[in-house]
Amino acid sequence: MEIGLGLAILGAAVATLLAGIGSAIGIGIAGQTSAGVISEDPDKFGLTIVLTALPGTQGIYGLIMGFLILFRTGLLGGEVIALTTAQGLGLLFAALPIGFVGWYSAIYQGKASAASIQLIAKRPEEFGKGMIYPVMVETYAVFALLMSIMIFMFLPF
Amino acid sequence: MDDERYAYATGRIRAMETSLLDRGRIDRMVEASGAEEALKVLGESAYAEHIASLASVHAYETMLDQVLHRTYRELRLFAPDPELVGLFASRYDYHNLKVLYKASKLGEERDELLVRDVGNIPLAALQRAVRDEDYRSLTRTMRDAAKQAAAELRLKANPQRVDLLLDRAMFTEMTERACQFDSPFLDDYLAYQIDLLNIKTYLRVKRANLSRDFLEQALLPFGRLDLTKLVQLADPPEVLADRLLNSSYARFIEDAVLSYQKTDTLTRFEKLADDFLLRHVQKAKYTAFGLEPIAAFILAQENEVKLIRIIMVGKINRLPVAEIKERLRDVYV
Repeated sequence: MEIGLGLAILGAAVATLLAGIGSAIGIGIAGQTSAGVISEDPDKFGLTIVLTALPGTQGIYGLIMGFLILFRTGLLGGEVIALTTAQGLGLLFAALPIGFVGWYSAIYQGKASAASIQLIAKRPEEFGKGMIYPVMVETYAVFALLMSIMIFMFLPF
Repeated sequence: MDDERYAYATGRIRAMETSLLDRGRIDRMVEASGAEEALKVLGESAYAEHIASLASVHAYETMLDQVLHRTYRELRLFAPDPELVGLFASRYDYHNLKVLYKASKLGEERDELLVRDVGNIPLAALQRAVRDEDYRSLTRTMRDAAKQAAAELRLKANPQRVDLLLDRAMFTEMTERACQFDSPFLDDYLAYQIDLLNIKTYLRVKRANLSRDFLEQALLPFGRLDLTKLVQLADPPEVLADRLLNSSYARFIEDAVLSYQKTDTLTRFEKLADDFLLRHVQKAKYTAFGLEPIAAFILAQENEVKLIRIIMVGKINRLPVAEIKERLRDVYV
């Protein structure tokens, strides 16, 4: 296997891996807080589930990036393209924004979600406002995905 | 920070906080026409199940005991550090010891004052310690204090001395237990509480014209103020208020000291001191992860029990509404 292809595969792995770890931790935190609220007030399940799921998006973005890279290499359905080292490195770099930003933003989004879940435990009518804070963290995961896709698209092939 | 350990507990605490009484309901209880009516207002809240099984208005103490018992039991089950609950529960062990010593050595049988199933040590073990001097189940600090108390009572029956010994041991133990959490929130709370008790002791000692030696013995350690250095017993009370102008207590100390001077009772002082401590505790409302919300819930629930007690005592004794209101503390929520 060429070094270029190897680097591209590493990129796909990194994007999925780091963003996925972040989402798992983030949902873990928010999920614990939700469980605490539900044990006292099961009626709040519908509200808590949305906030608990929010930190999951980073993992999805990472997976999307991973798929895009694998498609480009031709490993998924098609012929494997011979990538130069520079092209492989470019694909690896394309994975880094969503990998790292996804990792950290998901953890912090999980914390913001947990705090908002505490908010709706007390004031369920303020659910909308409680959504906004964790969603603001989401912005940066979206920016990172955007940058990842731009690097991916404008790579000279 | 490892505070995510508290994620479940804080979620649960926030949900539990919704069943704490708010100011509106407390005010309605105070304005109720009588004790029955006040209980009816209370019955519209989370207290409904307790009230339904209440034999008479005078049985409200049993209900409050149940509430405390349940709070401590639940928190012990789900707090990431049951030790944190133990820190606050140890106060009930010392309280029970005091009651038991008075009962056994001075013949004041006051079983209704004992708080069951809340403290860390079973009541039977405390009874063994007092009756048979069997100290095995007691903590180290408690054991030392109990031994001293027993010796003290053998010499001469001075209940005040025993109270002092046990209070000192209680705050020593609480401060030691708080050390392991390394939490400014807990440290501040304890130091504030000790300081305020010491100020109260100073005022009382001064009033009773007791000696400086007695004052030094009666003051609790681990506070932030050194009252013996700060003021002389001969100083008028205004000096104390003046000296504390730069302390954390500046906001209310003048009012507290002057009202004591005027009325000769510590009712207002105690109310203001409790409100000050509650304001500190309320900081936990803005902590999303950590031990603060758990500690604060315990203190908020105890504050609520105290409020209900003040109202019920007032209503049963037919005190005027204004007089009950003077004694009322703030609420946490």
